[in-house]
Amino acid sequence: MKILEKSNLMEFLKNLSSKYELISPIKEINTKFQVINKSNFDRIFLDKITEAPAKSFFIPENEALLNFGKKISVKERKRIIFGLRNCDLNAIYILDKVMHDANYIEKRKNTILIGLYCENPDEYCFCKSMELEDSEKVSDLFFYSKGKKYFVSVNSEAGKEIVKNLKESSEKLKFKVKNEKELKNKGIKKHYKNSIWESDAAKCLSCSACTVYCPTCSCFNIEDKTEINFKEGERVRQQASCQLKSFSRVAGGKVFRDSRLARFKHFIYHKIVYFKDQHNKYMCVGCGRCLRACPTKIDWVNTINLLLEEENRRKK
Amino acid sequence: MSYDSEKYKITEAKEEIEGVKFLRVKCNLNPAPGQFFQASIQGIGECPLAPCSYNKEYLEILVRNAGSLTGKICRLKKGDFIWIRGNYGKGFPLDNLERKNIILVAGGTGIAPVASFLDYIDKNIKKPGKILVYFGFRDEKHILVKKKLKKWSRKFRITICLDKKTEKNNYEEGFINQIIQKSRLKASNYLAFMCGPEVMMKNVTETLNNLGMKNNSIFWSMERRMECAMGNCGRCLIQDVYVCKDGPVFRYDKIKPKLDNEESSNKILIDGK
Ligand code: FES
Repeated sequence: MKILEKSNLMEFLKNLSSKYELISPIKEINTKFQVINKSNFDRIFLDKITEAPAKSFFIPENEALLNFGKKISVKERKRIIFGLRNCDLNAIYILDKVMHDANYIEKRKNTILIGLYCENPDEYCFCKSMELEDSEKVSDLFFYSKGKKYFVSVNSEAGKEIVKNLKESSEKLKFKVKNEKELKNKGIKKHYKNSIWESDAAKCLSCSACTVYCPTCSCFNIEDKTEINFKEGERVRQQASCQLKSFSRVAGGKVFRDSRLARFKHFIYHKIVYFKDQHNKYMCVGCGRCLRACPTKIDWVNTINLLLEEENRRKK
Repeated sequence: MSYDSEKYKITEAKEEIEGVKFLRVKCNLNPAPGQFFQASIQGIGECPLAPCSYNKEYLEILVRNAGSLTGKICRLKKGDFIWIRGNYGKGFPLDNLERKNIILVAGGTGIAPVASFLDYIDKNIKKPGKILVYFGFRDEKHILVKKKLKKWSRKFRITICLDKKTEKNNYEEGFINQIIQKSRLKASNYLAFMCGPEVMMKNVTETLNNLGMKNNSIFWSMERRMECAMGNCGRCLIQDVYVCKDGPVFRYDKIKPKLDNEESSNKILIDGK
């Protein structure tokens, strides 16, 4: 462990931003991750989980997969993302299992991840229910907070280099995340046809906010864009949402997930059941961003809890 | 994992029927029957296609003009180029086909993978069992790959089922399931492979069940929205299975519960949505 006085954090970050492209949570109209420069340095925001996740630094909303008629090669500066909470890191651990293309791998390799202990989960957070321990596996450094100090665990060579000038500490600390909210049980596989989902689906506007704000939702379109001369262009990957009808529409017009209920359940089941079956890992990290972003305040976590409570009651 | 495509030359292009183009492309990808590839025109887009024959030197494809990309592909001429990446997916099971009795069923442009399977059987199976082929089309004007059918019919029993007959000929009139039902076939010692609209496959499967065939002897080739073809974009998911990667061919007893689930929730509409 290394130690950094909290009062020296800004100095530390300023230093990083002179050597690396530094990305950190900031507060503007909403809270999100952004590249830090002189103009937004004072808006760095570390008090709370960000509303928007960090995924766009690895899977941008629009990204060229191929170029035709033109060759572009951009060498990106080495990046650091600071201030990733356990849920954010856990999400990157999941994205690593999903994305295998050259673009993603290059971005990942080019990025150092610095975690930050979450002191104040809010009423939407249920990260502790979602295999939080995996989050430690992807961070290069992790900042634990205690009193006036950060205790920094060093998890990689790249991380070691960054904190080489910080003081060493021999303290052994234990940290526990305090969530009030819980996803009590995930055994929903056999309840696919349960009518309880219908009341949530009835509130759903199919607006796709949940998938936009979800740090692990990464489904996409592939579309060609051409320049006005029709000779140059690119094949672009664009983020898409399973909550929209267009997502499963084929040539000829058939929509395979046509009802709101089918689309709503697809989101929940992909997060809690399907991905787990394939990768032995839940695709949900319990960050609560989908719940926070939902305009009609659908609380599917609560729905699952109710569902399983009812099941238990019936068993008795 | 790469999205790079290769450029291939079109050596033959003709109108197969109205609205459907036949292309022969010089290309040695040779997908297994039921596998597919992504065809594209740069600047327009990509779409999944399956060849309608089995051949090491070229790909023969049928393209229905159904949008801006397929429209553009339909306008390609001999000597033009098309971009292709592949092969993708798992095709029809090819093990132990010697002496097996097989029923092949396809409707409309769904004929491609099944035709390629038939071509494979023709070229590679030394001692085929009974091979019964049912192809369904709207009417005489919509029959696809007529020449090949003629060639294959010398060796296999091919039944063409037309929704509506407009002239006198020896085609059957009616849906494939009705024609199979009439045949009183003892289906229990056959395997069935099919591709086409899901309603058609469902009806045929039901008929085959009635005639004694179990669902674990039936294989469906599925259609879903596809973008990446590599199990990545999430578009083709049927619950937890990727049509592009785990399929497009599925043993029916394995995919049925997933299709039933999705269908059950598609039937429940809330405020009509
Ligand atoms: S087509 Fe992209 S996941 Fe299957």
